Amino acid sequence: MKKAIALCVLAIAILASVPAQAPVVPGLGSKKITINLWTHEDPNRSVIEKKYIAEFMAANPNITVNYNTYPSNRIFEALTTAFAGKQGPEIFNVSIGNAVSFIDNGRVAPVDYKALGLKGPADLEAMYLPGMLKAVERDGDFYGLPLEITNMCLYVNRKMLKEAGIDPDKDYPKTWEDLISLSEKIVKREGQIITRRGFDFRYDAYTNLFIPMVEQLGGEYVSKDGKKAIIGDEAWLKALQWMKELGPAGKNLGSPTYTAARTAFDKNDNTVAMSFSGLYQEARMKASNPDFYNSKDWMVVPFPQWKDSKKKVTANYSAHYYMVNAQSDKLAQQASWVLVGWMLSHGEEYLDKVAIIQPTKKLIESPIYKSMPYSDVFAKDFENANIVYVGKASARLSTLLSETIQNVMVGGVDPKVALEKLRKSAQEALDSAD
Amino acid sequence: MMGDRRNPLEEKRNRWGWFFVAPGIVFFSAFSLYPILYAIWTSFHNKKLLSLKPPKFIGLQNWISVLSSQDFWNSVRASAVFCIGVFIPVFLGSLLFALLISSRKKGKRFYQMALYSPAILSSVVTASVWLLIFDPRGLANQFLNTLLGTPGVDHKWLADPVMVQLSTILVYVWKQVGYYTILFGTGIGKIPSSVVEASMIDGANSWQRLTRITLPLLRPTMALVSVMIFISSLKTFSTQYLFNQHGAPLAPINVLTLNIYRTALSDQNLGKASVMSLFLFFILLVLSWLQVKAGGQGEELE
Repeated sequence: MKKAIALCVLAIAILASVPAQAPVVPGLGSKKITINLWTHEDPNRSVIEKKYIAEFMAANPNITVNYNTYPSNRIFEALTTAFAGKQGPEIFNVSIGNAVSFIDNGRVAPVDYKALGLKGPADLEAMYLPGMLKAVERDGDFYGLPLEITNMCLYVNRKMLKEAGIDPDKDYPKTWEDLISLSEKIVKREGQIITRRGFDFRYDAYTNLFIPMVEQLGGEYVSKDGKKAIIGDEAWLKALQWMKELGPAGKNLGSPTYTAARTAFDKNDNTVAMSFSGLYQEARMKASNPDFYNSKDWMVVPFPQWKDSKKKVTANYSAHYYMVNAQSDKLAQQASWVLVGWMLSHGEEYLDKVAIIQPTKKLIESPIYKSMPYSDVFAKDFENANIVYVGKASARLSTLLSETIQNVMVGGVDPKVALEKLRKSAQEALDSAD
Repeated sequence: MMGDRRNPLEEKRNRWGWFFVAPGIVFFSAFSLYPILYAIWTSFHNKKLLSLKPPKFIGLQNWISVLSSQDFWNSVRASAVFCIGVFIPVFLGSLLFALLISSRKKGKRFYQMALYSPAILSSVVTASVWLLIFDPRGLANQFLNTLLGTPGVDHKWLADPVMVQLSTILVYVWKQVGYYTILFGTGIGKIPSSVVEASMIDGANSWQRLTRITLPLLRPTMALVSVMIFISSLKTFSTQYLFNQHGAPLAPINVLTLNIYRTALSDQNLGKASVMSLFLFFILLVLSWLQVKAGGQGEELE
């Protein structure tokens, strides 16, 4: 009975929040417009976005929308190439670290508040949680609307922990030291080859996960004034040494050359017990392995800290914003903002079907958010989270960080040597940024 | 005076000549000459990929910065190691396969096709297949461990700095050996049968025919193939790119083309990327000149 009532409440909440019909773009007349929309791959999201686009095109027969997806590690390169050749799409999204260069080089149009039915920037800001639009604010205007804000926590396979003699409720990993020691208990190898990993890192998200490890120990990626890179050698060396211990050059517990841990985790095939991911992973798990999703064999726990952490820092959150190409035709820009507004007005459905969070006040207070498994864990961690580094050299710094960690972890490079090289290259990148 | 007078027929023929080469000249100017000149111009400017501002002239700053960069010289080293590492197995392998195939009476086409088939796969598909093979639990470890009797050893095909270079070389050799086998096969086919028959009448055995007739007459093809292997291996990119995307350390396999790509797209610094491109262009130019010379030598011998 309780379940039925909860489902009814959810259904009513979704229906009440969804506008009945897609908006009509004003002043279009008989003009024909083509809008190209480029976004990163997410099969669950593509389904609902294509539906919103079809509704939008039905309401605006003169507008054609081409929806294209790219792998998340390629979209930045695809966009950069397209924009350099003056062929950028009308609407695009890219992670905030990479979006900065588009905004700062005048490639992004400011939000068209009127097209969204708002009076101005203050109205828009009031819709979101505090600070959520700061990364796209320039001189009082906003240059993007948040599609998703992601912070990461630790997914734990309870069954695998129990089988290794670990009580998942009491002895789940709380520190980085725990992660290594528990992994050592769970890992299985055939000789040197790992056949079961206790924990493996998320190697495409160093700025989200590794930088907080350094910050917990008092180190910094870039100084507050944005002028100095790599601060606090002791913190950096300890975090790099931890990565080395995890990898094949250390205790051989994981490596970036194995299948991505989050993908293997969802399969529940006894190959990975713990992995980092965002709330969205729940939707992927639900789609790829509903039995596991509906079981009680998994849980989500907070981001680990060091035993001797100097301050509590949780995983940095990354953000994706839908943006509009400033070089496209003015009418196309207006139509694009109307479309973006229409798509993002379905925040509850994005959460329900894709498990991605648009940081609106309305969504965070909604029953659907509160009913998501472990959303409270993500929300609590979010209170201590910072946004990933967003600066003029953020894309370059992110590349340098990946190189450094991979050289230490799999290349066997001494952390001290790697840190010196990183410091030099990162400082050069900051100094040469416009 | 008679000598200065031009032949109208020749003049007419020359005009047609220009007409026929015009599309080629336009194509070359638009897609080769213009980018080369633009790269030279860009190498002296502070040009950022996404910037809408006009680039500033900065003299030799990009050149000094690139040529004094450790990262750049590491890329030169990575490219050189790759070229040399690829050259020996591709050259010897394709020559050996061509000799074996040409010695067969039946099934020549089949063997050529079988060897050539990897060359028609896209580099991305090739690298993706080999990523699975080089996975720690993949075929490469299983095969080598069975061969060496070392069960459970992880040879770190994608992790160890030396092994990852070997892995990229292996992929390239597998993909390219068939192509050069066909080139050598064509060279062997061009050797006049009368010369071979004469040597047989004179009592030369197979080894003598190979070392005294086939290999000396194949010398122009060998020169051509050598230069072609160097040129194409210098342009390698996708295997290194995909391996790095899947966790392989960058430094050992950061070949020049990959460094250019990353400098232009990730760092958005077109000026520095242009300097590296011009450096690569110069090496390719020298190799192409050698290739033309080798081709000319072949024609003279024929």
